[in-house]
Amino acid sequence: MAVASHNHGEARPWQKWAFAIVPAAGLFELGAHVVQTHSVAPERDWHAAREYVAAHAAPEDLVAFAPRWVDPIGREVFGPRLATLEREARPDETRFPRAFEVGIRAGALPFLAGWRRLGVERFGAVSVTLLENPAPAQVLDDLVSKVSPDHLRVSRVDGGREEDCSFSHAAPQSGQLGFGTAVPADRFICAGGGFVGASVVEDTEYYPRRCIYAPPAGRTLRLRFADIRIGHVLHGHHALYVEAEHSMKAPVTITFTINGAPIGSAVHRDLEGWKPFELDTSAFAGTRAEVVADIDCPTSERRMYCFEVDTR
Amino acid sequence: MKVSSLRLPERIGWRDHGIGAALAALYVLVLIATARTIGFPRDEGVYFRAASSYVGWWRLLLEQPDEALRQSAIDAAWGFNHEHPPLMKTLFGISWWTLHEKWHVFTDASTAYRLPAMCTAGAALWITYVFGARARSRIAGLVAAILLGLMPRVFFHAHLACFDVPIMTMWLLCLYAHWRAQEEGGILWALATGLTFGLALSTKHNAWFLPAVVVPHALFVHRRAIVAGLKVGRVSLPSSLVSMALIGPAVFYASWPYIWNDTIGRVQWWFEFHLNHEYYNMEYLGRNYFGPPSPKSYLPVMVLATVPAVTLSLFLVGASERAAAGGRRLYSWATTKLPRILPARRADPEEAPLDRGETDLLIALAVVVAVGPFFLSKTPIFGGTKHWLPAYPFLALLAGGGFDLVRAAMNRALPGLAGAKRSAAEAALFASVVAAPLAVTAHSNPFGLSSYVPLVGGTAGGADLGLNRQFWGYTSQNAAEEYLNDNAPRSATVYIHDTTWDAWAHMQDEGRVRRDLRAVGSPHEAQLALVEHELHMNELDYSIWVTFGTDAPTYIVEHDGVPIVSIYRR
Repeated sequence: MAVASHNHGEARPWQKWAFAIVPAAGLFELGAHVVQTHSVAPERDWHAAREYVAAHAAPEDLVAFAPRWVDPIGREVFGPRLATLEREARPDETRFPRAFEVGIRAGALPFLAGWRRLGVERFGAVSVTLLENPAPAQVLDDLVSKVSPDHLRVSRVDGGREEDCSFSHAAPQSGQLGFGTAVPADRFICAGGGFVGASVVEDTEYYPRRCIYAPPAGRTLRLRFADIRIGHVLHGHHALYVEAEHSMKAPVTITFTINGAPIGSAVHRDLEGWKPFELDTSAFAGTRAEVVADIDCPTSERRMYCFEVDTR
Repeated sequence: MKVSSLRLPERIGWRDHGIGAALAALYVLVLIATARTIGFPRDEGVYFRAASSYVGWWRLLLEQPDEALRQSAIDAAWGFNHEHPPLMKTLFGISWWTLHEKWHVFTDASTAYRLPAMCTAGAALWITYVFGARARSRIAGLVAAILLGLMPRVFFHAHLACFDVPIMTMWLLCLYAHWRAQEEGGILWALATGLTFGLALSTKHNAWFLPAVVVPHALFVHRRAIVAGLKVGRVSLPSSLVSMALIGPAVFYASWPYIWNDTIGRVQWWFEFHLNHEYYNMEYLGRNYFGPPSPKSYLPVMVLATVPAVTLSLFLVGASERAAAGGRRLYSWATTKLPRILPARRADPEEAPLDRGETDLLIALAVVVAVGPFFLSKTPIFGGTKHWLPAYPFLALLAGGGFDLVRAAMNRALPGLAGAKRSAAEAALFASVVAAPLAVTAHSNPFGLSSYVPLVGGTAGGADLGLNRQFWGYTSQNAAEEYLNDNAPRSATVYIHDTTWDAWAHMQDEGRVRRDLRAVGSPHEAQLALVEHELHMNELDYSIWVTFGTDAPTYIVEHDGVPIVSIYRR
């Protein structure tokens, strides 16, 4: 079958030369390929940005990398002293007064969109944007940082009986995809099942969240945090490991008391993801007190539960 | 490039097969030359094992036929990986046994395993050329074949001892044979249609859909004969359909000893396995999908993001012209049925004569049926683009036709050009449509699954869009080449993430990965840990942070600045 060529009279100039769109597209694509493959941010630009951030970022500032996919390179170049676990696996951004957003390709992090831009420094292909939080929260105590025998006592409550879980330093546990949140080396281990330790959970958006890994083992898991500075609210989040979020099992409830007085509880149901909660503690504001968290769930199956909470 | 200057006779014949064979040979040579750059995906490790098992049975059959034909022997050899039919795995095994084990043609066992699939890739270019040359013109066929080979994803999958490129070729070959059967008549091409359908069934389950292309096409081609037959009480079926119905299943059955016992039960299991296939994770536009409903925009967006834009623009030109021709034909037919309503068209003296093989309909059906299932919300999307590769030769054929049109338009626009100047202009036009696909495809290697075309911003643009970075865990080889082989402590334990034990062992056997490195299955056991980046694999990153006590990788394998593999060191 031959390709018909249609020549109905004199073609208009644009019709006559319309064929040129195709070779132009080919050449444009070639040019775009050359530009794209030669516009990778060089290592020296990353290092210059790191020097700048190291010199200017305060410990309480956020350092974050944009777009999201460049985060591994940011962690590699900036190292764990700047790209700290607290910054990388933050519960949210509310506690940070300022953010150093280190970006390439005009990348911007959506959760910093409402922050006030104070300035931009450019280091070749890498830019550092300084942003100010319009309403930073003042965190008094972060309970995830208190997971140690000095500040925390863990017990398993069975009926009226409360059995202490011992703190130990053992080998961490991890596995292949589907294993879930890693079990940290430093952890409270409960006789009869259950443990508590600080780890990093993958939430339903696949973000890292530093949290207290406390899977309920069919009994109440009680965490007593000693000598906590109390503010006006307990501010927290909780989640299950992402694959467990799809198990559609019983909800997990966390109930807080301060010096024995009930403060409130939060319930996490499957597929709710990294769910925030806030409980009023105004009655105890300005005091130091014991904060107790009771974690309950009627089943232990795939309840890979992790929470974080701070006082503010 | 002016084909007429090659002084080929007008009739398509053996010289064209020479051109097709040359294209095929060149492509296979390039694939062999680049074979060592690509690590072993998860599936390949399984297929290597199956291939060795299957060829072992064939050897047993030659040496001890009575023993080989016992069900216990058949099931022992063929029971492994029986979710996929045997043709390609058998060929991988024969190639490995003869070209690596026996005659030592290839130093790497993997290259011997991979060779049959590479040859099917070359064959796809060959058939595409000949199909295009017969259906359109030699230059259309040539451009079609080249643009098919220069699709980055086709080039990547063409390296692998898997079934995705082979089924693309079998799909094409079966439809080519069927088309020739319509064009030529006679029994030979009809028999070839049945044979190739059987081979396609024995390659991959995409072949189940071939009747959805061939049956409506054959019925349309033969509609008058069928209706005339029915009027006199005779059922007249196109010979290629009869052949497909009789020879296809027979070839399929004969090729697969596993179904020689408990045939119905095992074939039924095979169908049910694929009809109820589990969903694997796949990132698309920043969201991880691992269950229905699948996004309906997945296929068109992924085609735009992975097939060079100039190829797609030529496809659009070619497809539009053929659609317009089809529309004109449909209108002409309608005017004969509704002469009072529709005015008759003025006859176009340059209109192509009626096509006995109904090529446009066949090509349209071949594309639509190959891609159709991916618009269903229940169809998993975990294979990325590889599951609709059978559509690509036909997309390329339309692109080849598009090139013919563009070339003709250029020559009309530049009537003053003649001789060498015209040849130079045509060569420049050819270069303008081939250069970008060549550059993009060459650059994509070995990260074929991570690469995206310039239209979406290349590899980084794909990452910006939240398109899948990779799957199958084959980039651990790149981690070894760029970091582990030179920097890992002696006998270090390495968490190999998504790479299978078989794949890792093969990479060590072939010296791609240092032999003293010990693979482990979890980060906490390892001194070094790999993370092959995919959205849902972030979990492993976080596990390593906890178990290694650091969130900073020591080294990152990148492609165009996009992280492919992070390497952590304790």
